[in-house]
Amino acid sequence: MSQDHGHHIVPVKMLLAVIGILVFLTILTVALAQVELGIFEVPVALSIALTKAGFVVMIFMALKWDNKVNATILAVGVLCVLIFISFILIDTEFRGDLSNTTEATIMDEQRMEQTLDGREPDRSDISFNRQ
Amino acid sequence: MANPHTNQPAHVKHYFVSSEQQFDAAKMGMWLFLVTEILLFSGMFVAYTIYRSWHPETWMALSTALDWKLGGLNTLVLLASSFTVAMGINQIQRGNQKGLLLNLVLTFVFAGIFLVVKYFEYSAKIEHGLLPGASFDPHGVSHGFDYATYNVPYGPQFFSIYFVMTGIHGFHVLVGMGLFAWITWKAKNGAFSADYYTPVENCGLYWHLVDIIWIFLFPLLYLI
Repeated sequence: MSQDHGHHIVPVKMLLAVIGILVFLTILTVALAQVELGIFEVPVALSIALTKAGFVVMIFMALKWDNKVNATILAVGVLCVLIFISFILIDTEFRGDLSNTTEATIMDEQRMEQTLDGREPDRSDISFNRQ
Repeated sequence: MANPHTNQPAHVKHYFVSSEQQFDAAKMGMWLFLVTEILLFSGMFVAYTIYRSWHPETWMALSTALDWKLGGLNTLVLLASSFTVAMGINQIQRGNQKGLLLNLVLTFVFAGIFLVVKYFEYSAKIEHGLLPGASFDPHGVSHGFDYATYNVPYGPQFFSIYFVMTGIHGFHVLVGMGLFAWITWKAKNGAFSADYYTPVENCGLYWHLVDIIWIFLFPLLYLI
C-alpha cells in the first residue's frame, strides 16, 4: 500500500550523509567563532545556520519530495519574517538620522501633554525646548 | 480492518476520499502550524537583532558568558534526535514497527539529555546572578574567573533575551517529549504501519522545527 501512496522514502544512506554534514557544519561554525572575522562574523554564522536549516527542511522533513503546497506555505512564512525584520530595521537603524517634525523629542512632547492635562497654570513646567 | 461501507482502511475518516488525502490534509495543517511557530520565534529574533545592532559590544562580551561546549553538545544532541526521528519515519514507511519504536525511544532520550544539559547551564547562570532585567547581578568566582567582569551596560537586556529565547525553546522541547512519549506508547501497541503513521510524521515535523530554532539560537547566542 505504501508504494501506491507514493510517499517518498528517504534512503538511510542519505539520512546518514545529512547528519554527517550537519555535524561537520556545527564543528565548522564553532571553529570559525574562535577566529577573528570582524564584520563577517554575523554573516558567516548565519550562512552556516541557514545551510544547516536547509538540509533539515529538505531532507529530514522531506520537503524536497513533498506536495508543493507545503513548500509554498513555508515560503510565505519565511517571507513574512523577512518583511518583519527588514521593516523594523528601517526604523531602528536610522532613528534620529532625520530631524523630528518638532524640536521636542517624543518623550518631551508626552511630558508636555501630561503637564497640560494636569491643568497647571504655571508655564515654567512646560520646558520641553531645553536650549 | 476495512470499513465495509466505503471499502477504505479503518483509519480513514468518512469525510476523506482516501488515506492519501487524509494524510496530506493533516500534513498541510502541520505546516501551517509550523509557520505560526516560526512567526512566534521571529518576534524574539527581531528583538535580538535590534538590541545586538544597538549594543554589539555587550553582545560580543556576554556571548563568552555562555559555555559554547555545553551549547555545542546540545546542538549535537538535537541533531542526533532529528536524525533518529527521520530514521523512525524511514522504518515505519518500510513497515518496521520495531525500528520505529527504537528510534522514538532514542529521540525521547536525546530530548531528555538536552533538558538536563540546559538545567546545568541555567543553574550556573542563576548561581552567579546572570539573570534577566532587574535581577541582573553578576557575582562570585568560578574556575578562577570573576563573574563581576560580566557586569557590562545592557547586560540585563542580553540575559532577558537569552532566557526568553532559550526558555520558550526549552518549553517546546518539553512539549516534544510529551508528544514522543504519546506516540512511543502508541507505536508500542502497534498503532502504526506503512499505511498509517500520520502522528509520527507530524510530531517529526514539529521536532525538526524545534531543532532548526536551536540551529539558529546556538551560534547567535553562544558563539558571536
